[in-house]
Amino acid sequence: MKKLFPMTAHLLLTVIWLLVALYMIFLYAPQELTMGEVQRIFYIHASCGWTAGTAYGLVFLGSVIYLWRRSPLADELAEAAGEVGFVFCTCVLVTGPLWAKPVWGIWWTWDARLTLTFVLWLLFVAYLMLRTYVANPARAAVLAAVVGILGFVDVPIDYMAIRWWRTQHPQPVIAGGPASGLEPRMFLTFIISVGAFHCLFAYLVRQRMGLAKGRRELGALRRALATHLSGV
Amino acid sequence: MNLYLFLAFTACWLIFMLYAWSLSRRQAHLRRDLEELKSQIHDESSPKNPDK
Repeated sequence: MKKLFPMTAHLLLTVIWLLVALYMIFLYAPQELTMGEVQRIFYIHASCGWTAGTAYGLVFLGSVIYLWRRSPLADELAEAAGEVGFVFCTCVLVTGPLWAKPVWGIWWTWDARLTLTFVLWLLFVAYLMLRTYVANPARAAVLAAVVGILGFVDVPIDYMAIRWWRTQHPQPVIAGGPASGLEPRMFLTFIISVGAFHCLFAYLVRQRMGLAKGRRELGALRRALATHLSGV
Repeated sequence: MNLYLFLAFTACWLIFMLYAWSLSRRQAHLRRDLEELKSQIHDESSPKNPDK
């Protein structure tokens, strides 16, 4: 992967893509009539939300493959996606209230979408705590994989929450039926933003996987050295 | 610029920068550990090592 798409090229692509997205958010997309300028939060809020969903999807995939094949690479992917996904989910929970306050008049309400997104954030926290506090790495990987698989149930319910129930959170503007939709320039800006945040996510996951691989190799070297020393 | 818009974008980029900083710190720590281990292995395998 590093040979096919070097990290420097990936970083460069991410920076350019993010700059294009920022240009489109502030200068290309038209101002929304009802909410005004504050609606531009939508582009980062929803992009981070979609990326957090992708992250948990990768946690699920990596966990299933790890439990099935005991592949260290799958475990490293799940761990990296879990950690980076937590960062994106935190951004969703920070930008959401900052958009809600001027539009709804409240910072937060316990409606289905908001509550399920908060539960998703707690699942990321639980996943990372298991990784940190279970002393045996193999046991931590198995337990985390189980949480990763069971917790994935939250993702489709969170996605469908605004379709199934009446919520304070707005109804879907993408794939929400014939009455939904975005102005074409807003839609293009949103798609470019989602792409840019996914590119950033992929870059951070690759970096985090490199760290996990390095730690695994360091552990193996330490064990080999300890064996060598005990044999001398 | 709207205050909430400014705060949302600032907070978001701050979170990403904090994470990137934490990641680079951990990577630097790992590189240091690897260097230490390499020099330890070098010392152990060196024929001049009086312990051997």
